[in-house]
Amino acid sequence: MTSAAQVSRLLALVPYLQQHPDADVRTVAEVFQVTPRQLLADLNVLWFCGLPGGTPGDLIEIDMDAVEAEGRIRLSNADFLARPLRFTLDEAMALAVALRALLEFGDTALRSAVASALAKIEAVVGTEPRVGVLLGGGADAVRDALADALARGVAVRLEYNGASRGATTHPLVDPARVAVRDGYSYLDAWSHDRGAWRTYRLDRIVAVTPTDRPVADHGEPPGWAGGWLDHRPDAVEVTLTLAPAGRWITEYYPLRSVEPAGDGVRATLLVADPVWLRRLLLRLGPAVLAVDPPEAAASARDAARAALAAYDA
Amino acid sequence: MSARKSERIMNLTICLLMARRFVEREQIRQLVEGYHGLSDAAFERTFERDKEELRTLGVPIETGSNSALFPDEVGYRIRRTDFELPPLEFDAAETAALGLASTVWEQARLADATVRAVAKLRAAGVEPDASRAAALEASVGAAEPAFEPLWQALLARTRVRFTYHGVVRVVEPWTLAYRRGAWYLVAFDTTRGERRLFKVTRISDAPAPVGRPGAYEIPALDLAESLAALEPAPATAEALLAIADAAAPDLRRRATPAAAAAAHTPAGGAPPGYGLYRWPYAEDRDAAGELAAHGADVVVLAPPALRDAVIAHLRAVAEGAAGAAPERPEGQR
Repeated sequence: MTSAAQVSRLLALVPYLQQHPDADVRTVAEVFQVTPRQLLADLNVLWFCGLPGGTPGDLIEIDMDAVEAEGRIRLSNADFLARPLRFTLDEAMALAVALRALLEFGDTALRSAVASALAKIEAVVGTEPRVGVLLGGGADAVRDALADALARGVAVRLEYNGASRGATTHPLVDPARVAVRDGYSYLDAWSHDRGAWRTYRLDRIVAVTPTDRPVADHGEPPGWAGGWLDHRPDAVEVTLTLAPAGRWITEYYPLRSVEPAGDGVRATLLVADPVWLRRLLLRLGPAVLAVDPPEAAASARDAARAALAAYDA
Repeated sequence: MSARKSERIMNLTICLLMARRFVEREQIRQLVEGYHGLSDAAFERTFERDKEELRTLGVPIETGSNSALFPDEVGYRIRRTDFELPPLEFDAAETAALGLASTVWEQARLADATVRAVAKLRAAGVEPDASRAAALEASVGAAEPAFEPLWQALLARTRVRFTYHGVVRVVEPWTLAYRRGAWYLVAFDTTRGERRLFKVTRISDAPAPVGRPGAYEIPALDLAESLAALEPAPATAEALLAIADAAAPDLRRRATPAAAAAAHTPAGGAPPGYGLYRWPYAEDRDAAGELAAHGADVVVLAPPALRDAVIAHLRAVAEGAAGAAPERPEGQR
């Protein structure tokens, strides 16, 4: 950690501790996202800071016994640092972009709170918005209905245009959370029809019909921390060798690996749903030069033959 | 990290903040204990570095003279009104929103910057509350290696040089935009003398600053208009499709049902269990691939050229052979 990072933190820590008398070491460490040990090191620096003159009455006072014995911080004699430093442009922009993301994603009530908070922050920093965020957040009515169902803890019936399977379904689900991943909003919900956790992209939900049925406890929905599909134990690796015309998938889908292959690329993806892979191969058509394992292409080949039969071709 | 250095910079800050007049170097050297015992040269060096460090933290140090008669006697001070976060008041809903905002960034350095901003708000007595985050998880990532240098350049208004599609360009960054999980840069390309849109992931080297900060002005921009090139191309033709019932909702959404009488085409009418739709599409995009993805659920009745393209596309899949290259899909470039 650099001295600059420490000074920046100290300049916020002094007013914070005056706003929060008798603060708990762990809580403060969490607010500033440092270890309790680092926080103690910070306090030891502040112990030597104060007004020019250097007499004991000029220095910031910290009750070090209370810190060590009780884990409590009592700081005084620091009126000269009563308020935090202004936001840096970096901090203001990072916060403003985060708020803009919520503006794209939240329900009506959240968005109105975000908009007014954003206006106040921007009034203080006086910056032009130089960073924009557009999230695939779905229709307002869908977001509002889901927020309402989440707050009330009731099941909903979705009208869902599933893209990977290419059909409209009407699942009854217990909503658990709305989350953004890779730029799109998703609903994580327990599907009553499937008896399992499912993820629904918000912009593909056409309608949400609330029910009076309270949601049951299904535990936590699976996390996405490991990345796309990593939580699906049934996912298999498939490697596609693609002509240049198929290179777009490297920017479109999360891939395990990509390497150049001739003019094109060789891309390895994790496939959890064979129907999704069938559609991808049908989509790519002549851009697919090779599929490994080869049997992964069998379903797409059969589907193409069935389609050709529909054309009498 | 040096505790002594942090201590010295803190004391320098407090010293300049409390001063009613400009404080001259020699006074600073005496007042701030951390400068005691340094040679003249070492003091000059250390003091210059400390000032620079405070400036990067956003601490505004003003330089001036107390004397109109001797304006060369330069001193320093920090104006409290420039230093302190102005009073901010948020209601409960706004503080909840701020708490949620503090969890949005996935990119580590900007996540840190947001944490610092929120810690400042807490230090000013605002209490953001992230408890609502349990059911709402917004996240914005920035995994593109070129993102960070572009962000810095944009904030500082510094021109940057990078390689894009194998061509070196020097640009003035105007706006960064996050759309569908990817970052785009709207910038003025000084080589071509025009505004350009760059996909950040396609920048193949680390953008390097060119010249000094504040080198250009950013014009007012309409973000949606700047990104219009990323939207699907406008339709230039209309196809007549037979779509199996309840299949291909993504196609039906943009289509209009067609009367059965419309189906007198050389290709015949809709098979049983299929509905007829008029589907607008852009001819320069990969419409054939988009339609072929639906397999037997979608049959093109007209125009014949599109019908033939889909049949050729499907044959390539059925025979597992390479063929003619399709165009890029909609929304890609």
